Amino acid sequence: VNGLPANPFVVTPRARPSAAVRLGVPFGALLVALGLGMVVLLAFGDDPLKAYRTMFESSLQGWRPFTRTLTYATPLILTGLAAAVAFRMKVYNIGAEGQLFVGAIAASGLALALPPDLPRVLMISVVILGGAVAGAIWAQLAAIPKALFGTDEIITTLMLNFVALGLMNYLIQGSRSFWRNPTHPVPQGKEIPKSAQLPILYERLHAGFLVAVAVAVALWLLVRLTTWGFRLKVIGDSRRAALYAGISVGAMTIGVMAVSGAIAGMAGAIEVSAVTKGLQPKALAIQLGYTGIIIAAVARLNALGVVPVAVLLAAITVSGSSLQSIGVASELVVLLQGLIFLSVTAGEFFVTNRVRLASSRQAVRSQRELGAPPHVDETPVATAVSAKPASGESLALRSPTMGSAR
Amino acid sequence: MNNTVLVLSAASAIVAGTPILLAAVGELVAERSGVMNLGVEGMMLVGGVIAFWAGVHTGSLALALVAGGLAGALLACVHAVLAVSLRVNQTVSGLSLVIVGSGLSAFLGSAGDKPLLETKNGVNIHAFFPKAVRDLPIVGPIVFGHDLVVYISWAIVASAAYVLYRTSAGLSLRAIGEDPAAADAAGLNVVRTRYLATAIGGFGAGMGGAYLTLAVLGTWQTGLTAGVGWIAVALVILAGWRPWLALIGAYAFGALRGLGFTLQIAQISIPADFLNMTPFIAAYVVVIVVSASPSRSRRVAAPAALAQPYSRESR
Repeated sequence: VNGLPANPFVVTPRARPSAAVRLGVPFGALLVALGLGMVVLLAFGDDPLKAYRTMFESSLQGWRPFTRTLTYATPLILTGLAAAVAFRMKVYNIGAEGQLFVGAIAASGLALALPPDLPRVLMISVVILGGAVAGAIWAQLAAIPKALFGTDEIITTLMLNFVALGLMNYLIQGSRSFWRNPTHPVPQGKEIPKSAQLPILYERLHAGFLVAVAVAVALWLLVRLTTWGFRLKVIGDSRRAALYAGISVGAMTIGVMAVSGAIAGMAGAIEVSAVTKGLQPKALAIQLGYTGIIIAAVARLNALGVVPVAVLLAAITVSGSSLQSIGVASELVVLLQGLIFLSVTAGEFFVTNRVRLASSRQAVRSQRELGAPPHVDETPVATAVSAKPASGESLALRSPTMGSAR
Repeated sequence: MNNTVLVLSAASAIVAGTPILLAAVGELVAERSGVMNLGVEGMMLVGGVIAFWAGVHTGSLALALVAGGLAGALLACVHAVLAVSLRVNQTVSGLSLVIVGSGLSAFLGSAGDKPLLETKNGVNIHAFFPKAVRDLPIVGPIVFGHDLVVYISWAIVASAAYVLYRTSAGLSLRAIGEDPAAADAAGLNVVRTRYLATAIGGFGAGMGGAYLTLAVLGTWQTGLTAGVGWIAVALVILAGWRPWLALIGAYAFGALRGLGFTLQIAQISIPADFLNMTPFIAAYVVVIVVSASPSRSRRVAAPAALAQPYSRESR
């Protein structure tokens, strides 16, 4: 049939992957990534089990490390949500990094400009909302060209990340701006007043974590229950169907980028309010936005899934410094993040397709399931069935619309 | 005459533009076959660290470049497995390559007893032409003043343009990027061609990273590409998937990267943070202008099947 080469595997699409598959495959991919990390460690003569144990102990064992991890996870939950909501519509906003910086600039600016004796609740609300608005506006620099001309948002959001980074560096290192501490010899941001700082809940955990979780729940409900969320999913699954249905894709692009940018901007505001307590470029430019993309992919763009995945990625990241004490390069954590991203991306194939070793009976059965006629006897079965894509439009991580956008 | 601002800036623009050019031409070949690989930044980083390592151990520029190119190609093959064979979303796969590349290069650069981060460049890079030629007015520094890699990059651009437009192999590659089903029906091997084109793209990116590390910067630093790979991705769109336009664009970006140097000589002071932004602002603006322009030629230029996975059964 078709002269295809012999294929030892039977690949059949899953119409609707079960929950076990949707959870199990990313989890399996995680284990594969950790396995690959072990190979790298062994190649460099390090003890992988000792390294992983050290990472676990320094990030998850005991309240102090665990609350530190949750604090680190807070901006990651938000950047993960920012990526997830946009990616669900196949709008590839990889500008959460820059939107976070702009949110941090706006939030710290507001915190420094407003009278410090404002009530704490009011002050913090204004600071966080200000960061969200700034992030949403910054995201429009990519959303409007995308809506009007179909400009590739991957390129524009990414270029804007470098612009936002430059802007933030300029405000602290390159000038004596309103944001900079005028008395300190080393360039650093002015400390924001106490009334603008989010309270500590327990040990190192601050109230921003609850805000991030609340945003995750709200976004999950928004996508699941509202018309807006329905339109978002229709466009993500099939742009053409959305156009036939009369959905304004341009307006939705502007909207989803506003939501995505606002969430990323909020991440910057919360970091400023609870962790850096001022505009500190070095402490803010730690790839929070890019890590959010990994989190969204591992969570398979599910807003509720983003929360535990962000905690996991945060645990991996914070444990980097502890690796140095046992003589392993702390850069291992970035490599692990990349490997997780890669293996989860590859795993997407196994979520949307069922892969089995070809034994003749199974192959015939799988053909019947597809509604295709069983093979005639003279055809070697293993060669007859080969990869057939799943209903490619069913998942946002598959079948891109990039071609038309460029 | 050869020490005027304009001549020196032009010469430095070519050096600064060469990594962008090598990466962009590679990506262009891959995209012409229909595979979009956004992982250029990651492949450049891995190419850069491997080339630096090879340079330290062999002292040979040629070996270092080839090692960097092969490392980039190897990483590109990972993308090919995901994008061509497993048919996952090419955008997501490319992004994952960026993260893997930056993590792997950071780890390789800092692991071990004698990390590359603290090692001196092992490769000696010198001008290719004799001094008499280099001292010619104007063309001396701009055209003849460079190292061998710059001239290799010109040869690569010329051969890419020739192969893509003047040979049957190039026609096949472009056909696969435009309409893989028709190309498949005509007997072309879509999967093999796309793997090959993706690997070539990775080789270009790896070489670009190698040149950036060995010649432009001269040291290995974690994350040293700082967006150069993304500029290369943008450049492919700006150049309309045409090799010679990519050359012009790469040198324009090279000039922007060297803008600080030029302005310093001309005694114009602009904050360094803004200077660093200019290539990115330029890419942002030009990408919008290109997409907004009503001309038909742009639409024709983008491979019709770009970033679309191909499966025989779904045609």
